[in-house]
Amino acid sequence: MAIAFPVRLGAAENTLIEQLKSVGADATAERITVAGLPTRRVEAYHYTDLKLLLKAIPPLAQAANEASAPALRIAGAYQLMIANGMIQSHATAPAGVIVGKAAGTALSTRDDVLVHLNGAFARQSLTLTLENSVDTVIQIDRRIEGLAAHAADSVKIFVADGASATIIETFSGSDAAHVGNHATYVALGKDARLTHITVDLSARAVSHFATNEYHVGEGANLRTLVVHAGAGLARTHVFPRYEGTGAHGDITGLNLVSDGQHADITMDALHAVPHTTSQPLFKSIARGRGKSIVQGKLVVARDAQKTDAKFMHQGLMLSDEAEILSKPELEIYADDVVCGHGSTCGKLDEDSMFYLMSRGIPKEEAETMMVRGFLDELVDPIEDEALAEALHGVIDGWLLGK
Amino acid sequence: MANYDDIPTLKENIDRATVDSVRSLDVDKYKYGFETIIESDMAPKGLSEDTVRFISAKKNEPQWMLDWRLEAYARFLTLSEPTWAKVHYPAIDLQDMYYYAAPKSTPAPTSLDEVDPALLAMYDKLGIPLREREILAGVERPNVAVDAVMDSVSVVTTFREELSKVGIIFCSISEAIREYPEMIQKYLASVVPVSDNYYATLNSAVFTDGSFVYIPKGVRCPMELSTYFRINEKKTGQFERTLIIAEADSYVSYLEGCTAPMRDESQLHAAVVELVAMDNAEIKYSTVQNWYPGDKDGKGGIYNFVTKRGDCRGANSKISWTQVETGSAITWKYPSCILRGDGSRGEFYSIAISNGRQQVDSGTKMIHLGKNTSSRIIAKGIAAGFSDNTYRGQVSAHAKATNARNFTQCDSLLIGDKCGAHTVPYIESRNGTAVFEHEATTSKISDDQMFYCQQRGLSEEDAVALIVNGFVRDVLQHLPMEFMVETQKLIAISLEGSVG
Repeated sequence: MAIAFPVRLGAAENTLIEQLKSVGADATAERITVAGLPTRRVEAYHYTDLKLLLKAIPPLAQAANEASAPALRIAGAYQLMIANGMIQSHATAPAGVIVGKAAGTALSTRDDVLVHLNGAFARQSLTLTLENSVDTVIQIDRRIEGLAAHAADSVKIFVADGASATIIETFSGSDAAHVGNHATYVALGKDARLTHITVDLSARAVSHFATNEYHVGEGANLRTLVVHAGAGLARTHVFPRYEGTGAHGDITGLNLVSDGQHADITMDALHAVPHTTSQPLFKSIARGRGKSIVQGKLVVARDAQKTDAKFMHQGLMLSDEAEILSKPELEIYADDVVCGHGSTCGKLDEDSMFYLMSRGIPKEEAETMMVRGFLDELVDPIEDEALAEALHGVIDGWLLGK
Repeated sequence: MANYDDIPTLKENIDRATVDSVRSLDVDKYKYGFETIIESDMAPKGLSEDTVRFISAKKNEPQWMLDWRLEAYARFLTLSEPTWAKVHYPAIDLQDMYYYAAPKSTPAPTSLDEVDPALLAMYDKLGIPLREREILAGVERPNVAVDAVMDSVSVVTTFREELSKVGIIFCSISEAIREYPEMIQKYLASVVPVSDNYYATLNSAVFTDGSFVYIPKGVRCPMELSTYFRINEKKTGQFERTLIIAEADSYVSYLEGCTAPMRDESQLHAAVVELVAMDNAEIKYSTVQNWYPGDKDGKGGIYNFVTKRGDCRGANSKISWTQVETGSAITWKYPSCILRGDGSRGEFYSIAISNGRQQVDSGTKMIHLGKNTSSRIIAKGIAAGFSDNTYRGQVSAHAKATNARNFTQCDSLLIGDKCGAHTVPYIESRNGTAVFEHEATTSKISDDQMFYCQQRGLSEEDAVALIVNGFVRDVLQHLPMEFMVETQKLIAISLEGSVG
């Protein structure tokens, strides 16, 4: 019996409505007009109130005519680039990789404002088909360049039956106050294996939004890692769906937040069929007045017996003013399952610090060592050495870049 | 007329009744579902400003109380029903119920002899000891002071004189409004503000009765205090209001029980309970909630929308909530602690059992505001039949809550494949020195455990009851003795027929 109060629209919402109308997305425009951007009353946005946080929307992105330096170089990786929503020319793909292009967004329709906006604004999707085992790491370099722009882009990845690959997507660009809305759709065929990493290295002025949708097939094995280490406001919404018997997912994520930053990883996982497993693991490190949010929901469908899922979130506070907020959720409709979640939060262990310092290690170095140790669990499972090294570089860069 | 000196004790009666219902499997398991025919004085049907005035007049309330209620009613009109809980029910028609129903009897009975015998017989049947006895059947047992509330009025409060000797006030809230207005004005709505939420605001406007407890400084309450709530009339809503104040260095343990007749239509129960603990005071609040849960198809049953909150106002104060939730068609209840005083401590122990078409959305909030505050949450949810059982909780540490500590464990057990168990914790740390730990698991009773028990000669149902009792033991041990035995039996009853 919710009484609908007329929503007062802010500057950001009005700009969005105009932009939506200019691309003919009247239904989405209507939706924003009626409901506005999601507030904390919308559960998925409980800690990331877009109505409050998004003050302004820059003009829609035009084709980029300049390029900043790549944010992350991975030795030996095959490079693809999307700038301001447009797919750029690329070198010949390694054997087993087919690169293509499709119109519109790759995401499935769902009741989520950012998904609707991506659907309205993403003009094309980069498509990647992996036909067999690909050893070369594939890097998709997604940029927003030039003056402040509102850009949407989309990637569709299909890993064929029995194929395997490692893909890293990086988000960066110029220092302007962009709003980026990025989409990735991933489908894994029977017994396929994929490591999929997304790293936000945008400038502090940027608002970064990403939606990652995963469909994990029979016997397939998915490992993902989301790293937020750039934008002032970052949110990645991950939707893994375990659709075939024996499907497994290691969905992981890391929020590295400094003073004034707000990073949010939200996972909505669905175990749709019997005998699927997942081990989501998320970590938060916050310093200054940084704010890290991790929400993770595990839904086990009515007949998905023998599901084994364990969600874990660990937060580390490096300052007294930091905030770490988490909401792990279980929604379980099958009785023969083992599901759990844990969430802990605290500061660095004083005993361990004392141990290191009593052995002559300076405080800062001891702290760095412990943080590295805390994060090894996320980086260690990544097999490609050059890639793991690049990720360690991102973490060290954050640790040293106070 | 029955001899009231022979009223069986709570424990004994329940033992016998439990055994009976366990034996007769075909009979509906809810044994408090009878209706007592007592002539009642009712308010006109529906909710309006006149209803609020009617209730206030019936209670002979002073003008300030009426004004307070009217203000709450005005606020209520601006609010809409919350929809975030994981419960589904047809819209409640607030105009199609009575807000006041009182058994007609002598205006103010001074002794039990003046109370309607039919009423006493009802409490007799429920096993509530209204006679003040010290010794029963040669066995000395601790006394329990009872405030019995039926529909909208408090029928009787026992042991008042003995309690007043040590300065404790234990009476109905209506009486307290007349006798101790300065205390009510100071504390009422100081923990749950008038417009805290939809149901609390409705309660503020139309609350009818409940208990008032005041424990003076340094007093350890010599006996357990309890309130027994009974809904009897058709189409009435019960809006109880309880206020407990524990002054510095005091201690009180308070029990609450509730039942209602079996009816096809659902009835609304919207209570507000406020606890205030000053320096070093401790309040232990235990509930066995056994409202009528509706029949196996989900017809009828009580809608239980309750706001319970404790304020650890003083340094090193402690509030502990223990609840056993087995009844109600819908439970919407989050007994919470505001840990304001430095070094204060909040505890929440809960067992929520749902069967049939029951829907439970329950949990707690631990709001850490003071330094060195700690809290502990242990919640066990058991879902059977077609029910949904949700734990929803919040733990938050304010920026000034240095060294806040929390440990949370919530486990769910599913019995059958048509039910659901859900966990929704909000964990908010805004202080670097806060340490929070949260764990949750969901599982079913393993075949190995069942095999082990059955191999040793236990029936399937006994085995389930045994395993479940083990599962909830962490919570049970925090219940006062009076409740422990009853609760163990309740668990067996609620789960009966859910095996397989």
